[in-house]
This record gives sequence, structure tokens and C-alpha cells, in this order.
Amino acid sequence: MTRFLPLLCILTLTQPFAFGQAKHTLSGYIKDGSNGEALIGATLFLKEANAGVMANAYGFYSITVPSASYTLIYSFVGYEKIEKQISLDADQRIDVELKTEPKLLTEVVVSAKEDPLGKVQSTEMGTHELDIRTIKKIPAFLGEVDVIKALQSLPGISTVGEGASGYNSRGGSVGQNLILLDEAPVYNSSHMLGFFSVFNPDAVIDTKLYKGAIPAQYGGRLSSILDVRMKEGNNKKFEATGGIGTIFSRLALESPILKGKGSFIVAARRSYIDVLARPFVKVLKDGGALNFYDLTAKANYKFSERDRIYLSGYFGRDNFLFSKDQGFSWGNQTATVRWNHLFNRKLFSNITGVYSEYSYKLQFGDDDLNKFRWNSAITNYILKPSMTYFINSNNELSFGGEAIYYFFVPAETYGVTNGVGRPLNVPKKYNLETSLYANNIQKLSPAISIEYGLRFSQFNSFGPDTVYQYRDTVPGIRKPIKSFEVYKSGQSFAQYNNWQPRFSAKVQINEVSSIKTSYNCMVQYLHLISNTTASNPLDVWNPSSKNILPEIGDQFAVGYFRTIGKNHEWEASVESYLRTTQNQIDYIPGADLLINKHLEGDLLSGKGRAYGVELYLHKKSGRLNGWVSYTLAKTELQVNGINNGDWYPTRYDQRHNLKVVAFYEINRRWSASANFAFMSGTPATFPTSGYYENGIYIPYNANNSRGNARIPAYNRLDISFRLEGKREKKGHVRKNHDYWVFSLYNVYGRENPFSIYFTQDDKRVPQGQIIQRQAKQVAIIGSIVPSFSYNFNF
Amino acid sequence: MNPVKRKYIIAQLIVLSVILISCEKIINPELQSAVPVLVIEAWINNKPEKQIVQLTMTQPYFDESLPTGVSGAAVNITDDLNNVYSFVDDGTNTGTYQWLPSNGQGFGGVGRKYNLSVQTGGETFVASCEMKRTTSVDSITFTIKPDFQFPDGSYVAEFWGQDPVGQGDSYWIKAYKNGVLLGKPSEITLAYDAGFSAGGNFDGATFIPPIRQAINPVEKDPKDDRKNLPPYVKGDSIAVEIYSISNAAFDHMQQVEIQTQRNGGFGALFARPIDNVSSNIFNSNPKGSKVVGFFNVSAVMGRGRKFQ
Repeated sequence: MTRFLPLLCILTLTQPFAFGQAKHTLSGYIKDGSNGEALIGATLFLKEANAGVMANAYGFYSITVPSASYTLIYSFVGYEKIEKQISLDADQRIDVELKTEPKLLTEVVVSAKEDPLGKVQSTEMGTHELDIRTIKKIPAFLGEVDVIKALQSLPGISTVGEGASGYNSRGGSVGQNLILLDEAPVYNSSHMLGFFSVFNPDAVIDTKLYKGAIPAQYGGRLSSILDVRMKEGNNKKFEATGGIGTIFSRLALESPILKGKGSFIVAARRSYIDVLARPFVKVLKDGGALNFYDLTAKANYKFSERDRIYLSGYFGRDNFLFSKDQGFSWGNQTATVRWNHLFNRKLFSNITGVYSEYSYKLQFGDDDLNKFRWNSAITNYILKPSMTYFINSNNELSFGGEAIYYFFVPAETYGVTNGVGRPLNVPKKYNLETSLYANNIQKLSPAISIEYGLRFSQFNSFGPDTVYQYRDTVPGIRKPIKSFEVYKSGQSFAQYNNWQPRFSAKVQINEVSSIKTSYNCMVQYLHLISNTTASNPLDVWNPSSKNILPEIGDQFAVGYFRTIGKNHEWEASVESYLRTTQNQIDYIPGADLLINKHLEGDLLSGKGRAYGVELYLHKKSGRLNGWVSYTLAKTELQVNGINNGDWYPTRYDQRHNLKVVAFYEINRRWSASANFAFMSGTPATFPTSGYYENGIYIPYNANNSRGNARIPAYNRLDISFRLEGKREKKGHVRKNHDYWVFSLYNVYGRENPFSIYFTQDDKRVPQGQIIQRQAKQVAIIGSIVPSFSYNFNF
Repeated sequence: MNPVKRKYIIAQLIVLSVILISCEKIINPELQSAVPVLVIEAWINNKPEKQIVQLTMTQPYFDESLPTGVSGAAVNITDDLNNVYSFVDDGTNTGTYQWLPSNGQGFGGVGRKYNLSVQTGGETFVASCEMKRTTSVDSITFTIKPDFQFPDGSYVAEFWGQDPVGQGDSYWIKAYKNGVLLGKPSEITLAYDAGFSAGGNFDGATFIPPIRQAINPVEKDPKDDRKNLPPYVKGDSIAVEIYSISNAAFDHMQQVEIQTQRNGGFGALFARPIDNVSSNIFNSNPKGSKVVGFFNVSAVMGRGRKFQ
């Protein structure tokens, strides 16, 4: 793989240099005029140079062009564009603030030509950016705005069913997505088992999903990267945002610090169903608790024109307590420190330090003589320097590194039975993942652009640990232990090195259409150990080790992109992908995944393949806007020991997946949104036969197959109406802004199937008599769910 | 699923369903047809009573008739001292092969290794197993305990017993209420040492509380569907037996639990894949026909009590 390195150097150095003409750099920040938030992805277009640049995650841009007079056009969807004439005869810094468009009805779309980094023009593919304003408009379950559920309306993204945590991207499992909140990995993105996501919509500004053509900056998971960015906080004036919903009450406060040199935001949410349910539910009356909350905070401060520091943090917890000291709780906590430094107008740097932890705790027992305590955690510390070198208008080079120290507590228990205490620890695990990367976006000609990069990663497992070797056996049964080795603290016992090339290319056919292709190789060293239909909060992550190899995935994609309409208000794309994976994990029947020192003996390893075609049609403006996405896909695994060693569909395999999201502005105060979903049924395993053993009727599949049937297809419509509060009161413009959202989830109350299971009748039947059996179809949400929320901002 | 985890996740889901609405309906899916496979049910114990090996054929899943017995087979168990125990067809055409103890002597002894051999249709099926030690039920108590499954003020039964020192004992605990075995899939109670699994580190301890209290039947109040009956009331009798089982039988029974205790409602979110339950019985010809079932020889100890 090292052969890619020279290629990288050559490509960077052979770009056409324009000798004899002085070049100057234009750089600065693009921000929101109303609150000073960075406008991630806003663009600057230089008309005469026919070149442009996109603002990075901090709103920074830089472009180097020959000295001349230019017309600068700064633009961003939903904002009024700014045009400026300049004569560039020296390096210049121009910071601009864009104003939000006063009325959505007259929203202007920048033409494709002036949007040099729009979908058609950029090398990006397999990528979606959803800003929080759009996410907030999508009708949501119980009216709770949900970043993860919003993603599921995009092509290539699916879920195993309602209430399931996380999402599946292009045939990958839930554990193959890296979810980042201000660069901190979030290991469990759900509240309440999977019904709500952990991101507070009042504190999020932007989400970007990479499901293919993943730049070399990112690594560590096979399927996708979800990059969620938090708001920086209003640096112009104090602002309060909040709401009362069916599930959560929310409040977010933002304010400038020291005359706009910095700002902060603190946002909190808490569920309050327990408060409402307390009179009716016995366990809640008896000192139990059922609640979940999160606190999100961020602050930034500008030390100089070249330096800015950001601090952000998240703390969330779910509590299910059956009495004062019995129950279950889990949650994530993260902290991120970032230091942006501008070395010069062309070289932007950022150093990020991250702490992230996911943990859960269970505690139960009658009294001190009989109790059980159990906790588990995954903790990591990350250091991530990154640089972007805006070489010239044709090259943008990013490079950097990442070091992640992982500390796993798979299970730590303390049990007391009849007064005798027994501690137990599944040995802790210590790992270090280090990576280096370089990525260049290069314009080869007006029509052809390429992006190429390389990521090298190394993963180390350190002692103290006891490493077991397992004997090979018939695949599908527990592997017996052959021997073990004990490693001292700090001693490395497993090391993996991987080169991960990334490449994408765009060929412009004409002003409105382009063809793109991409290839990326991803490596994943952490494995989500979960064999339930949906991932649950008790699932643990296990690092690669001597017995578990890193998962490796290769994805190849091609796509056609175009804009349609006089004002290019439609964006359409067709993408098709092929993904192959190695060392995918599956489990022996009856695998014991929790509190098990010999977990690795219960794991199986195999390969995967997934392919699909994604259609996406997005109308970006007008009174009626929204998108349609359709995915035709297949995802399979082949693991010795399952399904007779033949390929079988993953539990979340869906052939067809159609989503329609539409927004309509009825008048100045009323707007409506609708969301329709149709999905083919996911696979199920049906028995062929059954037999009696010990008076129990046991299902049996004579072909020993997995996924031999399908549950029926799913379809659902949700709608919501939004009523804006009055803008004026007694002839004066109101200072505060408020709105109501009324929503109906599952409008026609369809009992959408989640799964089908086979069971014997619950009646007590004497041994030797016939036991009745049934097949049951489960709907997680089997009726219409209405809700409303009140939201304010002042 | 680990029983501890199951109990607590289910409890949460109960709370959750107060707020959300899940529902399920009975359906009649068409199932693939399959060739019947031999079932050997050979769960032998050392109680001084008739021991049975049952030979039947698998049946279509929804076929609600008694399984077809396999007659005319030769069924023998041999121990490592070359004693042969012959199981004889009882002539009922149900595939029931029995062995009767003589002089009130139970089957075999702790520490002996046994081989099962079943010859039928020109094929030989074999399995082996060791009779492991068991442990005694020292006492059974009834106390009023708060338990979310039962109405306030219910008496909850608890058996007391100690796992002997030495890792790797596994047990199947069976309870009888008024002489009726609590034998539904949800009532299977297994123990590994004194805990739930090998990972529990409860060797040599008193059985842990969820095992001690697993002998309480959860039954709906016929008068109020939303409530359960108290597990025991005055006048009820209870008996608890501890069967030693091999580690392979423990794994097998855990799989039986997973495959037969399917949770509906929100529990479906956390269902585990449907797989065939493993067997320790093999066709001596690896290319021969398939077989399911299990062979285990248990030592049993128990105790009964009347609740007064």
C-alpha cells in the first residue's frame, strides 16, 4: 500500500503553476450576521477566476489567486448573498457576515455556477449535510426533533425498525458508524433504548453524514461518519431558546462573552413523563425513577486574530430505577477542547483534545446481604492535530494525525449472596490507535477534479491482560480454551497496521451535470458486541485482539449528479455502491456476550457484501420543497457456522426503501410538513418443524437456515403543522418569537410489523400433552401518535 | 439473554409501555416443509423411579398432533464400568423406551461416565455424558417481599442451598407447586455454580437471590388481567429439586430458553437470532441422517414443604 505515497506527492507537485504572475491570498471567516455562528459550508465564488472555496467547520476560508480585480460572491442556502468588488494586489483578510433571508417564501437559490462546491461541482459523493433548520421541520415521533431519525429519510440509510437505536448506512451495522459530537465519539446515540437521540436540537447547528467517499481525515468505522457540530453560542446578544414537548422540556441560553470576543451556549433537556406518570405507576410511587436528561454546553473565546479556543461538553443519562437503590442507568459524557490557529493566510490548524465515556450501571438486591452491582464503561482520550493548507485555487491539502487511547471496563461486578461478597472483573482492556493522514482536493481542469488521500493507522493492545488461545472446533459452537498467556502492564500483545487509500473524482459534463466515482478503504478496530435485533444499552464494545481481527471494508461507488430547473432549484443524483467487508463479527447460537471472560470463544468471523442504487431528488426552494429518496439494496454476510456457511441477509437487509419528505408553506403563520416511508420487510427466520423435549416445544429449522423468510413491508405517513406566534402585538413587533408544532405520527395508524416470533402457548400443559403454538407479529408503534410542542426564542 | 438482564429490561419495557403503544397479533405464516428428523430425548436421573428415553420424529411446526413415536429401536446406556442399562420399548407405540430400577435403587452413580447408543433404521446414534454431583435444598422459606411482579403483601418462596466448592457445577432447578411441575419455558431455572453463568464467580456460595426465588409461578389473576396472583397462599405445597447437569446440558438448556422464551411487545427489539438448539447426540455416520435432542444423566436432591 505504500505505493500510494509517491502518487500522492506527484499529484500534489505536478499541478500547473502560473509563473510570472503574482498571487495573493484572500482569507477570512464567513459567519451568520444575526448570532455570529460559523456558517459551515458557506461558499465564496470569484466570478472572474471562475473559482471558489467552501468555509470549513469553523467558518474559515482561504483562496489564492493571481492579482486582479474580482467580484466576490459570498453565499449560503437560506442567507442573502453578498457581492463585493475588490482589487486583489496584496493578501487580504475579509470576514463577512451573511444575513438570513427575511422570508422563506422568496428564498433565492444561488445558481450552480456561483455555487462552485455544490453537489454537482464538488468531488463529494455519498455525503449529506442536514442543517438543524431542516431537521426541525421533519415531523418527528412524539414531536421530538431527532437528528438520527432525520438521517433515516436519506438514501442509503435505514434502520431495523421503529424504536431501534442508531442507523444502518449502505448495508453496514449500527456499530459501524462513527458518531461524533464536536469530534467526540458518542458510543450510544439513544435515549430510552432507541426512541430518541441524544442530540439536543437547540445546541446542534449542523450535521454531515459521510456514507461513501470518506475523506482521509476520518477513520475508525467501516460504514459511515456522522459529524454533528454544536452551536457556538450567540456572540451578539443574549438569547434563550426552549420548548415544552411531549417528552422533553428544553432550555438553551446563549450569550456573548467579553464584548463578542467569545460566546457560550448551555442547553439542557429533561424528560418529564415520570412526573406525569407517577400517580399511575406503582414503581414510580415507590421511589423508582424513569427519566433521561442531557446537558450540552459550549464556549469559545478569541485570543487574537489568529487564535480561538473552543470548549464543548455533553453529559446525558437515562435512569430506570425500580426503587431507591435498584435499577439501571446509562449515558455518555464527552468533553472537547479545540484550538484554532492560523499560521498564515493559507495554513489553518486545529488541535483537538477529546475525552469521551460511555458507561452503564445496574444495581439490584433485597438488602445488603443479597445484592448485585454491575458496571461497564468504555473511555477514550483523543489528541488530534490537523492542518489545512490552502495551496492555491486548485489545491486544498489537509493533513494531520490522531491518537486515541482506549480504556475498556467490559464488566465489573460485585455480588453478595447470603452475606458473602464476590467481586468479579472481566479483565480491563487497554488500547492505542494512532493514525496519520493526508488528503488533497485538486482541480485538474475546469471539468475534472479529484480528491485523494491516504490514512495509515496502527492499533495496539497492551497488558495487563490474560490472552486466551482457543482451539478450532466445528464452526458455530463455543471454542474451548487451549492455553493462555499473561501480559504485564504496558506490554503489547497484538498490533495491527493498515493503509487506507481514499480516492474520488468528478468529471463535469456541462454546467448542470457531472459524473463522479470514488473508492475508499476503511478499517475498524472496535467491535460492537450485540446479537439482539436492535442494539441495546448493555451492549459492550470490544477491541481487536489476538483473536479478533480488525474489520476491513472497501467501498466503490459511481454517481451521476445534476441540477434541474431554471434556477437550479432541483438537485438530483443517482449513486450506486458496492461494498465488501472482511472479519465481520457474528455469534454462536446461545453466545454469552455479557460478563464473560471468554467472550472471544463465542465469536465467529466472516465476510460481508452489500450493494445498492440510491436515487435522490431534492427541491431546495419554493413554497413546496423537500426530497424524495429511494434505495434499492442488498446486504449479506457469510460466516462459517451460520446458515450452513452460505450467504445470508443481515437482520436489517431491506430491498426497497422509499422516503418522501415535503415541506409546504401555507401562509405567513402556518406551514405543514409530511414524511412518508415505505420499506421492504426485513428478514426473519421461520422454523420448519418442532419437537418436544422435557415438556417444552422447541422450534427447529430442518435446513439450519438464517433469514429464510421476510416480514411484511412497512409504510407510514407522518404529518405536522407549525403555527408561528404573532409577529406583532398592539402594533409593535414582538421581541420574542414562538411557535407551536402539532404532529401526527403514523397518521393512518398502521400496525407496522417489526418482527415475527414463534412461541408456545403460555398455558400450563402437563407433560405428554399437546402444546398449542402461535406465530405473532409485533408492531412497536401500532397506532396513531399525536403530540404537540410549544417552542420559544427571545 | 442473561436472566438478570432480561428481567430488568422487561421491567423497563413494562414501564415504557405505559407511555407507548406496542401491539401484536397472531398470524398464520406459511412455513417451508421439511423432512422429519429423529428426536432423542434422553434425560435420565438417579431418582428411584422409571427412566425413559423417548424417540420421536420432528413434526411440522404448527402440526398440533402428538409426535410420531419411533418403535423397534435398540436403546442402551453403558457406563465406564461396562454396566449396560437396556431401555425397552413399552409397547405403546409412542417411542417410549423404559428402564425400571430394581430394589428401589436409582440409575447409576455420581462420577460415572455414560454412553448412549440408539440403533434405529440401520443407523446408530451416540452420545456421552457424566453424572455430576448435585447439592441439597437445605430449606424453603416464605417471606413477604416487595416484588414488582406480585401484588403487595405477597409471600414469596425462596429455597436455600449451597453450591459445593469447585468451579463448574451446573444445575437445573425444578419446582413443583401442589405437585404440578413449573415447566413452562419461562420457568426454566439454571444455575452455574451458585450464579447464572460461568462469569458470575459464585463458586461455593449460597445460590444467588434470583435463583433462590425463581420457584415462584407468575400467573395472571383470572379476575383482573393486569394483575398477577400471589405465587403461594396458605395451604399450598412446594417441592424443589436440584438436578445436576453437564456443562453441555447447561449450554443446551440456555439455548432452549433463548429459543422458546420469545418476548413480544418492546421485548422484540432485543430478541436474539433464531437458531437451532445444539445437541450432544451424533450419528455415528457423519453423512447419515440428522438427529436432535439431548442426553444427560442427573443426580437429584430435593425437599418439599407445605405453606401453613
